[in-house]
Amino acid sequence: MNDTNVPTQSKSTLIKASIAATVIAVFIYFTLILPAEYNQDPTGIGTALGLTQLSGNDDSSPESQLANDSSSSLNTTEQSVEESIDQVEIVVPAGRGLEYKFKMKQYGKLTFEWSTDGSPLYFDFHGEPEGDTTGYFESYSIATANDVKGSTTVPFDGVHGWYWKNKTDKEVVVTLITSGVYEVIGKPH
Amino acid sequence: MLKKFTLLFFVLLAMLVSFAAYSHGVDDGTKQFLMQNQGVAFVPFLYIGAKHMVTGYDHLLFLVGVIFFLYRTKDVIIYVSLFTLGHSLTLLFGVLANIQVNAYLIDAIIGLSIVYKGFDNLGGFQRILGRQPNTKLAVLIFGLFHGFGLATKLQEFKFSEEGLLENLLAFNLGVEIGQFLALSLVLILLSIWRRFDSYMQFSTVANTLLMSGGLMLTMLQLTGYFLS
Repeated sequence: MNDTNVPTQSKSTLIKASIAATVIAVFIYFTLILPAEYNQDPTGIGTALGLTQLSGNDDSSPESQLANDSSSSLNTTEQSVEESIDQVEIVVPAGRGLEYKFKMKQYGKLTFEWSTDGSPLYFDFHGEPEGDTTGYFESYSIATANDVKGSTTVPFDGVHGWYWKNKTDKEVVVTLITSGVYEVIGKPH
Repeated sequence: MLKKFTLLFFVLLAMLVSFAAYSHGVDDGTKQFLMQNQGVAFVPFLYIGAKHMVTGYDHLLFLVGVIFFLYRTKDVIIYVSLFTLGHSLTLLFGVLANIQVNAYLIDAIIGLSIVYKGFDNLGGFQRILGRQPNTKLAVLIFGLFHGFGLATKLQEFKFSEEGLLENLLAFNLGVEIGQFLALSLVLILLSIWRRFDSYMQFSTVANTLLMSGGLMLTMLQLTGYFLS
């Protein structure tokens, strides 16, 4: 049945080989893999070698980010820690205004690009601090335009986004492309 | 003996470290592509599949174990085809039927498949059970698990349903191309090594290290499973 001509090792060689394989694996696991991948360092060797830096917070590799945030499931971790890119079409009805928001951490960067299907819209790009009940908001830019690109580093934790006002008598479709570390809130319900 | 062992140990370690630099999942650029993509994108999916295989050290270590004692080209083709059949079945079935398997657990099993093959190459089953379990069947069954591993990697991204089948077939084809490329390199290296007496001397050490590498992958993945 089997085409392989495998030399059969003696029992003692097998035992030695199995023990050696296990010892090497366990040793490397505790000294190198655990510190580098999961930021856990039971032996202290990982820190001494600088390996724990690999699983630091600013690491962009998805595996270590998964490892950092051990409490949540795979997908939500990726969405919350990793930069996402989204494209959305927002219909602003004739004569109406609406908002589209992103929840972001302080100093998070939002890169954006939006354009309308024709008519320029009045807009107010602004942010509201988290937990604020006074209605305070800070405007980053206010203008009337049909095509805007830019990026901003938000000054506080909270929701940030656009208010568009359609002053024409026809609906206007805004195509918004964003990237950054954020959670999409979208239109308020 | 000890000297040779140390040398090989460091070679394997260096391999592990350099491969570890690649996250075995999918890198950020690819991820963005997968999440944004709409409709059929044949060549990009082909490329992702091939790249996944070329940088997929777990699949490659298993294949190194499989072909370690295969000397005839015919045998290599048969065994690799069985592996391909196995992983293609579960890759297609897993994604199309949307079967969710925990990626950590499946990767842990893939690690164990390497341990199995290393032990098998030491004649371990022959010694303990008195006979070697059917190697063709084993490679097919482990192929099925490897395919589920590939499927979970793709399923992590809820990419568009549109053109799913075409993209999936492209990914699968890419996996085979990547496997072919990587395997060609491995075969060349192994066949050079086989010319030397050290091949048989080292075979015990090499397969011991294969087992060890498989164990490391298993522990790495199980840790991920229990932490998540």
